[in-house]
Amino acid sequence: MISTKNLRFSYTKEQEFIFPDLYCEAGSTLLITGDSGKGKTTYLHILAGLLSPNAGEISIDNTDIVSLSEKEVDQFRGKHIGVVFQKSYFIAALTVLENLEMASWLATGKKHTKRAKKLLTQLGIENQAAKLPSQLSIGQQQRVSIARALINEPKVLLADEPTSSLDDKNAENVIALLTSLSKEYKAALLIVTHDGRIKEKFINKITLV
Amino acid sequence: MITKLAWKNIWFKPLNTVLSVILLTSSVAIITTLILVEKQFEEKFSSNIENVDLVLGAQGSPLQLILSSVYQVDTPTGNISYDSAKVWMNHPFVEKAIPLAFGDNYRGYKILGTTADYLAKYKAKVVDGDLFKKNFEVVVGAEIAQKLNLKVGDEFYGSHGDAEEGEVHDDFAYTIVGIASKTGKVVDNLIVCTIPTVWQMHHQHEENPAHGEEGHIHVEGEHEHEHEHEHEEEDMTIEEPNMEITAVLLKIRNQMAKLTWQRVIPQNTKMQAVSPAFEVNRLFGLFGIGVTALQYLAYGIMLISGISIFIALYTTLKEREAEFALLRVNGARRFQLLKIVMIESLLLCVVGFVFGSVLGRVALSMLSNASEADFKMSFDPYTFIWQKEGILLAVTLLVGCIAALIPAIKAYHLNISKTLANA
Repeated sequence: MISTKNLRFSYTKEQEFIFPDLYCEAGSTLLITGDSGKGKTTYLHILAGLLSPNAGEISIDNTDIVSLSEKEVDQFRGKHIGVVFQKSYFIAALTVLENLEMASWLATGKKHTKRAKKLLTQLGIENQAAKLPSQLSIGQQQRVSIARALINEPKVLLADEPTSSLDDKNAENVIALLTSLSKEYKAALLIVTHDGRIKEKFINKITLV
Repeated sequence: MITKLAWKNIWFKPLNTVLSVILLTSSVAIITTLILVEKQFEEKFSSNIENVDLVLGAQGSPLQLILSSVYQVDTPTGNISYDSAKVWMNHPFVEKAIPLAFGDNYRGYKILGTTADYLAKYKAKVVDGDLFKKNFEVVVGAEIAQKLNLKVGDEFYGSHGDAEEGEVHDDFAYTIVGIASKTGKVVDNLIVCTIPTVWQMHHQHEENPAHGEEGHIHVEGEHEHEHEHEHEEEDMTIEEPNMEITAVLLKIRNQMAKLTWQRVIPQNTKMQAVSPAFEVNRLFGLFGIGVTALQYLAYGIMLISGISIFIALYTTLKEREAEFALLRVNGARRFQLLKIVMIESLLLCVVGFVFGSVLGRVALSMLSNASEADFKMSFDPYTFIWQKEGILLAVTLLVGCIAALIPAIKAYHLNISKTLANA
């Protein structure tokens, strides 16, 4: 579960983002929407510990990640936070399976090959495991990103515009996979989006203004 | 895992990698060859002049005298009278004097008339058979025996002078009475016999005008006439008057004489006395310019390979920023990114060094075959000179470190949030 309190952040002195507090239970989903420039991606990066806020608290499973050092945040993020980006990034020189193994090794020091294969099977792409990421379609790549985000069984799963580059059918699929898998792995799922196709599917919403 | 990732990364862009490795390989190969050749060349040259303080020979180029009489690689400067040489050989300052008379060759290997002291100087023992006692008995060097498959009791005819294609002297056959032990020195490639053997071999041929060339032993015209009819069957001895030899290797007791004789002998006789140590140092000096030039070239190539690694890492850094950001999202620390870039560069250097060391040794063994054929000098490509090659490895790795420094620091300071938001 994840909750925030009084988060503020600024890139420059003139403009400061004041983010609404949020709370999301393990296994449930929260949608963060808002127009461009309202700080959606910034909010997600702060929640992931990639940016540190000027003030406020982020509590993930009773740990305030704002108070951690950079090194501790890196480690905490690797273990407890999974991130799915709008565009899929991979280590181009490694195969799909090796990409997943690398993600688990960086966080825990172990290659969870079994778990990686199980996730690929759940996402229907087990036969792509030995391919390079660049050989996959965009829809398949996004599924690999989801598998990578879940490999360490995180407490929080953050998704940044996960459907914006996908067609209707793939978008629906990805949302279905994200919600069902986050339930199964007991992760709090936060989706940042402005995609109208998925807004009405969720009850819990926060809109940035 | 980081090393594995670095390894996969460098082969993901094979062209960049191959270019860097080729450059590194060639520079390491050149330097390795130079290190090995220089060391072994100096060792061979130095070991052969042990216990030789001065060389007495005909006037001419001092270096030529040393090369011909000590190393057996050049033609001699001419002959000297044995009688006048004996004056200096028997001088009280002289601890040991070894006379040398150059004879014919057998299939390109020189036949040298000398005394048993010559073998003793090189610590060559007769391992099979006996030392030569009578004329036309020879002891062959270890390498010749092995290469030409010669055994004690074999007989052969020599060819005239030092050319393999020279006229064959088939009046007298040489008999192998002993095989010398392997010393790693010039004696391994010589056929050694008594001095009168050389005299007697050429005694018959005095009227052949081709025999007058320098360095060739011949009997004085007048002298020949007396012998023509009397001594056909009788062996010549070392006591024979008015004969000539080629050079004398001297070991001197008196330190001053080593210096003064170099001046006194050419002033008062038709001979010269040359210090081999001095001449060899002069030769190394000449040789050293070439070695230094090649070394600069090799380090220049290494510098270029360093730049090539730097450019490869730097240009791919931009496209890999997202990849690095991703690693950070997955829990990698800043330091681990720095490590990846560093290890990639160092892996290239290690690969280049290994290939270079191997290639350098391949080149050396080819060089060795060529010099073996021309100068009877071989190099061992399988030795390692740990100290110098260790320094070379350190230099190579240092080049890798420096090349990777800026890209690695850039990776370390990567702003992940910005990279991911802008991509």
